[in-house]
Amino acid sequence: MAQAARSEIILEARGLSRNFGGLLAVNNVSFAVRAGEIFGLIGPNGAGKTTLFNLITGLNQPSAGTLIFAGKTLLHQRPHQIARCGIARTFQNIRLFGGLSALENVMIARHIHIRTGALAGMLSLPSARREEREARERALNLLAMVGLTERTDAQARSLPYGDQRRLEIARALALEPRLLLLDEPTAGMTPSEKHGLSEFIRDLCDRLPLTVMLIEHHVPLVMGLCDRVAVLDFGQLIALGDPAQVRSDPAVIEAYLGDE
Amino acid sequence: MTQFFTDNGFLIVTMLLAAMLALSLYLPLMAGQLSLASPGFYALGGYIAAFMSTRLFPSPDGTYPLALLLAEMFIAALLSGALAVVVGIPALRLRGIYLALATIAFVEIIRILALADSFEYVTGGAIGIFNIPQPFASQTGYLWVVVPLLLISALLIYRLERTRAGRAFVALREDELAADAIGIDPTYYKVLAFTLGAILAGTVGVISAHLLNTWNARQGTFDAAINYLAFVLIGGSRSFVGPIIGGMLLTALPELLRAGAGVGVLPVGLAQFLADSRQIIYGVLLVIGTIFLPQGLITPRLFQRRRHS
Repeated sequence: MAQAARSEIILEARGLSRNFGGLLAVNNVSFAVRAGEIFGLIGPNGAGKTTLFNLITGLNQPSAGTLIFAGKTLLHQRPHQIARCGIARTFQNIRLFGGLSALENVMIARHIHIRTGALAGMLSLPSARREEREARERALNLLAMVGLTERTDAQARSLPYGDQRRLEIARALALEPRLLLLDEPTAGMTPSEKHGLSEFIRDLCDRLPLTVMLIEHHVPLVMGLCDRVAVLDFGQLIALGDPAQVRSDPAVIEAYLGDE
Repeated sequence: MTQFFTDNGFLIVTMLLAAMLALSLYLPLMAGQLSLASPGFYALGGYIAAFMSTRLFPSPDGTYPLALLLAEMFIAALLSGALAVVVGIPALRLRGIYLALATIAFVEIIRILALADSFEYVTGGAIGIFNIPQPFASQTGYLWVVVPLLLISALLIYRLERTRAGRAFVALREDELAADAIGIDPTYYKVLAFTLGAILAGTVGVISAHLLNTWNARQGTFDAAINYLAFVLIGGSRSFVGPIIGGMLLTALPELLRAGAGVGVLPVGLAQFLADSRQIIYGVLLVIGTIFLPQGLITPRLFQRRRHS
């Protein structure tokens, strides 16, 4: 990938903070994510990783600081507006539409790319039918990409855990995001599934104009997959750099292994 | 067959109207919103019909042109829809039981406004409006309007469920936060679902006012909301077929019991008691239904099974 494209900043956080009552979940965090990279986010439990994702996707508003995505501020935007800007995410505790089929889950996520209004849909206008067919095809392609072709009609809730994680990624990809936030995508997967997913994410970034931010507890996976890694501890950014730098950073070792 | 329709014209029309009222409650429920506002819009539609047909275009001989009935339905749909947007935007910020309570309050406000002295010219106050003219020679004639209206509503909802807006409703019902995160504007789609339900309820109110010949503040009250809810929950809330079946079945039930008493299937006293105590039956069915048939009589699985076999 061209060096120029790599160095372009797609997401920038400056002095980002969020407190819940007295708890500073995210404390004065600044970083920049480059377009096309896989940006890992690690840290002990409760370090503020998911809160950071919630701030980026508008589920929580920052108490202080700014967030700029592709030159536009994300502050005071509702989650559905941020989704339209080109940011999609998965959730740590999987939030699929459980009662619906795998196909429906992905088709719903074509929402921002379809124009059919309620009236056009109810009157079954030719444009509505065409968009419907396209949404179905796109969804089937995405399900094939994540290896769920056999499970198209299965109820999301009935899928095995690993398949649910993959389905959630397919749903997020249906938005055609420029930035994809994955919150512990390999949690609950077997080692071989973890490896497969890691390959899959790498492959996605090579094929699509996609930037990935990834929260992950499995450190070898993060170090192997990510271009750069940020480490959060008690809401503060304690390290940021390529995997080798971060691994040898004394502050990181202390946060993970404790003070001698 | 013709004789059957003639004898039971009123009941059949009422059953079909009930099916549509159930659909009017089902629409917001599709988007996960428990709204009990339908009777309010139903009452509004009835008053629009009563006012137009007795005050604006009175017919001395008691007959009424079909075109005016259709015009009333159109106006009722428009005004109900507009009112739903105005009420829905603030009310749908509330969730679950709080929304249900707010919509009950809305129904009460409509009722109290209907009773108010200042609106007496329009609503007839506590007495209501009598002698609403008949567009058809017999009650069976209403089928010419009610059957197409039900078929069209069902067809539109069927298609809605399979396109973008309907899927957005279902996404909100399943997980509002996840729906928001994939770009679905929760407020817009909740208000849309609420408004579609209101339009249907208002339109049905127009037909009911003519069918009943009279309209007053006892039409479209809180009890009605519970009846509609029973229609949806017993019929099934996961497919539009459920409310239609539920509405028709529960409306026919008291009459069936009465008929059962007539041919000696049930003891006359018991049948009479059951037939006269619709509310008790609905209440018991609601309790039993939620325990043994949590998804209602009609579930999407029913259709899948049929498709495979």
